[in-house]
Amino acid sequence: MFTLITLYSTIIPISLYVSIEMIKFIQCAQFINNDLNMYHAESNTPALARTSNLNEELGQVEYIFSDKTGTLTRNLMEFFKCSIGGEIYGTGITEIEKGGAERAGVRIDDDEDKRSATAVHEKGFNFDDTRIMRGAWRNEPNPEACMEFFRCLAICHTVLPEGEETPEKITYQAASPDEAALVAAAKNFGFFFYRRTPTTVMVRESHVDRMGSMQDVAYEILNVLEFNSTRKRQSVVCRFPNGKLVLYCKGADNVIYERLADGNYDIKKTSREHLEQFGSAGLRTLCLAYRDLSMDQYKSWNEKFVQAKSSLRDRDKKLDEVAELIEKDLILIGCTAIEDKLQEGVPACIETLSAAGIKIWVLTGDKMETAINIAYACSLVNNDTKQFIISSETDTIREAEDRGDPVEIARVIKESVKQSLRSYLEEARRSLSNTPERKLAFIIDGRCLMYALDPALRVNLLGLSLICHSVVCCRVSPLQKAQVTSLVRKGARKITLSIGDGANDVSMIQAAHVGIGISGQEGMQAVMASDFAIAQFRYLTDLLLVHGRWSYLRLCKVITYFFYKNLTFTLTQFWFTFQTGFSGQRFYDDWFQSLYNVIFTALPVIMVGLFDKDVSASLSKKYPQLYQEGIRNTFFKWKVIAVWGFFAFYQSIVFYYFTAAASQHGHGSSGKILGQWDVSTMAFTCVVVTVNLRLLMSCNSITRWHYFSVAGSIAAWFLFIFIYSAIMTSFDRQENVYFVIYVLMSTFFFYLTLILVPVIALFGDFLYLSLQRWLFPYDYQVVQEMHKDDPHEYSMIRLPERSHLSPEEARSYAISMLPRENSKHTGFAFDSPGYESFFASQQGVCVPHKPWDVARRASMKQQRQQPQRTGRS
Amino acid sequence: MNSGDAAGSSSGGSGDAGAPRRASRKPKYSKFTQQELPACKPILTPKWVISVFLLVGVIFVPIGVASLLASNKVVEIVDRYDDACVPSNVTNKLAYIQNSTISKTCRRTLKVPKDMKQPIFVYYQLNNFYQNHRRYVKSRNDQQLRDASKANETTLCDPEKTRDGMAIVPCGLIAWSTFNDTYTFQHNTNNLSIDKTDISWKSDRDHKFGSDVFPKNFQKGPLIGGKTLNESIPLSEQEDLIVWMRTAALPTFRKLYGRIYVDLKENDTITVTLDNNYNTYSFDGKKSLVLSTSTWLGGKNDFLGLAYLTVGGLCFFLAFAFTLLYLIKPRKLGDNNYLSWNRNSAGH
Repeated sequence: MFTLITLYSTIIPISLYVSIEMIKFIQCAQFINNDLNMYHAESNTPALARTSNLNEELGQVEYIFSDKTGTLTRNLMEFFKCSIGGEIYGTGITEIEKGGAERAGVRIDDDEDKRSATAVHEKGFNFDDTRIMRGAWRNEPNPEACMEFFRCLAICHTVLPEGEETPEKITYQAASPDEAALVAAAKNFGFFFYRRTPTTVMVRESHVDRMGSMQDVAYEILNVLEFNSTRKRQSVVCRFPNGKLVLYCKGADNVIYERLADGNYDIKKTSREHLEQFGSAGLRTLCLAYRDLSMDQYKSWNEKFVQAKSSLRDRDKKLDEVAELIEKDLILIGCTAIEDKLQEGVPACIETLSAAGIKIWVLTGDKMETAINIAYACSLVNNDTKQFIISSETDTIREAEDRGDPVEIARVIKESVKQSLRSYLEEARRSLSNTPERKLAFIIDGRCLMYALDPALRVNLLGLSLICHSVVCCRVSPLQKAQVTSLVRKGARKITLSIGDGANDVSMIQAAHVGIGISGQEGMQAVMASDFAIAQFRYLTDLLLVHGRWSYLRLCKVITYFFYKNLTFTLTQFWFTFQTGFSGQRFYDDWFQSLYNVIFTALPVIMVGLFDKDVSASLSKKYPQLYQEGIRNTFFKWKVIAVWGFFAFYQSIVFYYFTAAASQHGHGSSGKILGQWDVSTMAFTCVVVTVNLRLLMSCNSITRWHYFSVAGSIAAWFLFIFIYSAIMTSFDRQENVYFVIYVLMSTFFFYLTLILVPVIALFGDFLYLSLQRWLFPYDYQVVQEMHKDDPHEYSMIRLPERSHLSPEEARSYAISMLPRENSKHTGFAFDSPGYESFFASQQGVCVPHKPWDVARRASMKQQRQQPQRTGRS
Repeated sequence: MNSGDAAGSSSGGSGDAGAPRRASRKPKYSKFTQQELPACKPILTPKWVISVFLLVGVIFVPIGVASLLASNKVVEIVDRYDDACVPSNVTNKLAYIQNSTISKTCRRTLKVPKDMKQPIFVYYQLNNFYQNHRRYVKSRNDQQLRDASKANETTLCDPEKTRDGMAIVPCGLIAWSTFNDTYTFQHNTNNLSIDKTDISWKSDRDHKFGSDVFPKNFQKGPLIGGKTLNESIPLSEQEDLIVWMRTAALPTFRKLYGRIYVDLKENDTITVTLDNNYNTYSFDGKKSLVLSTSTWLGGKNDFLGLAYLTVGGLCFFLAFAFTLLYLIKPRKLGDNNYLSWNRNSAGH
């Protein structure tokens, strides 16, 4: 009985494991690591596969968890556009607009050297518009507004200048890169802020009186009204050298608009339109406003301010209340648009990945506004998207916080999270069934997430997140990133991928099935923890859609083929067992059986594992939907395996009975009879030939290596049997097979059978493949057919089509492609200077806003400079 | 924290500037690593499917016809004699066959259905005889058969290894059970001589069975399995043994007994005198005598021809069926609407 069972050991070949390891290793070491499409020239970083056993999972990823800073964005804030007095300035085109234009089929050149001469691109400033640069603003219809705009930028901030006081060499130290960008913008517009003393701001103003004039003006800063996340604005009261008192204010559009003086509806309306335009282009906006103060007004207010400032209890709250008193009747100047510079190609990449059916979650430590803004910029969210927001910044929670009881706060937050989760889930389900094409986005902040991850709410959280097309988690800690990742990994049972660049992403990278580190940066922690390292987020397209998809297809093919060929082989043995009285006699010689997987059928399947391509790399990216076949695991379903199994069954019957029938009659004119070993050798020959040909039939692309390996394998069998049956050894083998092949080859019967059996065996497969292709084609097959006459698909990869539009035409085209619809999103995002440690807030510790004491910082400037210089050199 | 990140990325930028100094890690271009090896991309278009079917049909039908014609030319006479050759009064067939004292000569008359051209091959056919049983197949020693000096080499030969401590040559179950019915033929009162040379494959005679190896201690046990061998003839010339020892694959098999070099006419009768010695009664085996002519393809084998014809015919039919399918259910090649994502949206 045991002997009988051991006969079927070939059904699970060890060579499967070896072959797959080999294939995966070469896929990683040769293909992924050497892909020129994933080589980042600027950082001299090629892609790096650090593990070789996740290739096929790259082709099945359904959820991507991405860090923001450093992964999606470069953490560079650049002043990009502005709207002054109802007029838009700035000719730049954001990535998202480029994406829109490219979708419409126009490619926009933005080579740096093609910019106009006035264009300036430095850190924090990437702006070009001849109308307002170099003093040209004086000729604009509203020079006064322009001047106020620039002054506001130059005065209303908490930035410290450092280094030499020349526009070229100065550096700005700011708590947030936004502020630095705004001040740098002012500098480039001719309002050079160069020195701060505890009470004054020194600005070198150009072109104010007349073109080319330059004068140093000292503005006395009387009060600074802090930015915080509740106020969403920041104001400065300053005294001009001529004694005029002005309050400059910048902040979120809705906050500013509430406090504007009546009148000027035109400007307000056009500015709002501009804000919406900026917002949907993924820019971060701020509104600027000012108010002239009279001495009396100021004095009476200042008393209250001093009082509030010196109060011991609830000082922040009182300061906020006092600020309300003066921040009103503002006059709108305009708004700024800052680009949170995305990594190159990110929106396009995300667009492609979404089309591929991959859901992208952004997990970031940033504030909610910033995160939403980036979601806009990455086209994860647009104006049609329905947003479900769970935020801890609601009035009820704030009230609870004011009461200060931690247990009570927790209860209130938990209750509100629970309620909103439940109602959102219902709403999302309703939306899914009523308007399935509507995209849904779910946004939650870390503090609420902490409660949502509670086992009781987890199910609702998961349910909602899985319905939504994109999920943004802001202000989350590294631990929460990992928790969210494993929530999906375990809850949805889908392949997850995490991508990040920093040490705070390590836990997330480790929690996902596939971890990807952004390499070429300074920190290596993420890379060290990752499975694959790529230099840029956009290379995910290549990694997943090309390498991942191919690897998945290939490995599916390899495994199913292995299953088929061993099942076929073993089943012939199985049929023989019935006719040996279940004695356990082997059908094949021991050597045939041992070498079957090692030599006669080994190489071709490895070739398939390496070279098979259903569609080319460029088509894989052009039709990202093809990736869904991997997500749905189309090629490794029971149905697929059953089809292979069925044909293995059919073929084994053909092999066994067609050849065994031969032993009943005499063959050849000598009338001699073939014995058992003749029959089995013939059957084995048929198996080897058929199985190798079957492989060719299932190939999508056949290189010469396929031909070599298939022909080589069949030739190897004949070579082997010629030698093996010609020699006699005195060792322990039985000489059953001696001369068998020569005996066989002396009969016509052998050749006739050798033609007949493979054809009949492959007949069924061929029929199936033809019918399947015609009646139920796979997506890739349709794409193959669409592009079967493409002559030079390889050259297409290297030479992306470029339109012949001049840069100006392209830009105007891109501008015409801007979203025109009215949206609610106006793109406010501003990292508060008083940005408290989010870890503290994670733990539920409420850190009181510390007043941003500019004066103190200014006086400490000398001491601070020293260590930073050494740090930078 | 933000400013820290900014510093991090800006110093990362300075690292970029230093890139040219380092050796470039840009991967070298090769068609292999970029996976751009030239390849042909076969697509099973209707044109291809139909032409493949037609091609197979065109090749297979003639081969089938030729094979079938060849097979039809073969004249075959099969006569089962195991039951008939036991006298009808014998109830215990097993005791009858094992009793060596009874003469078991038996006479059979065969009628030639069609002209038979020489050479006529004489086969014996056994049914239900598991020559492929594992323990049976194993029970032989090739070295002993080939090499006189290895006469005592009887490993694997269980249970027929030794007799009274002396090694049996040839040892093992297979040799022990060699078929031992004998046939003599009479045609119109003339004895037909049977040529019993060259009935085994030459390679077996020359290489597997030694010309200096003589049978020893063979069939000396209490239980006689089959043929006894003449101890003065070397194994390489004991062709019945050699034929028998090329074990058959299936439990129903034929083995060559000899050849008759006489042409037989239609309706001739042949009288066969046979010694019914071989015991197939203990396992319900059947014994038949087969006379057959041969062609280039061998003996009577309709199967091959029919298979070729069927497949060829089926291919023509399928070529036609697919043509119909392509006409009835046409699908533009590379039609966008067949892409699953387009299909789904069209469904709504």
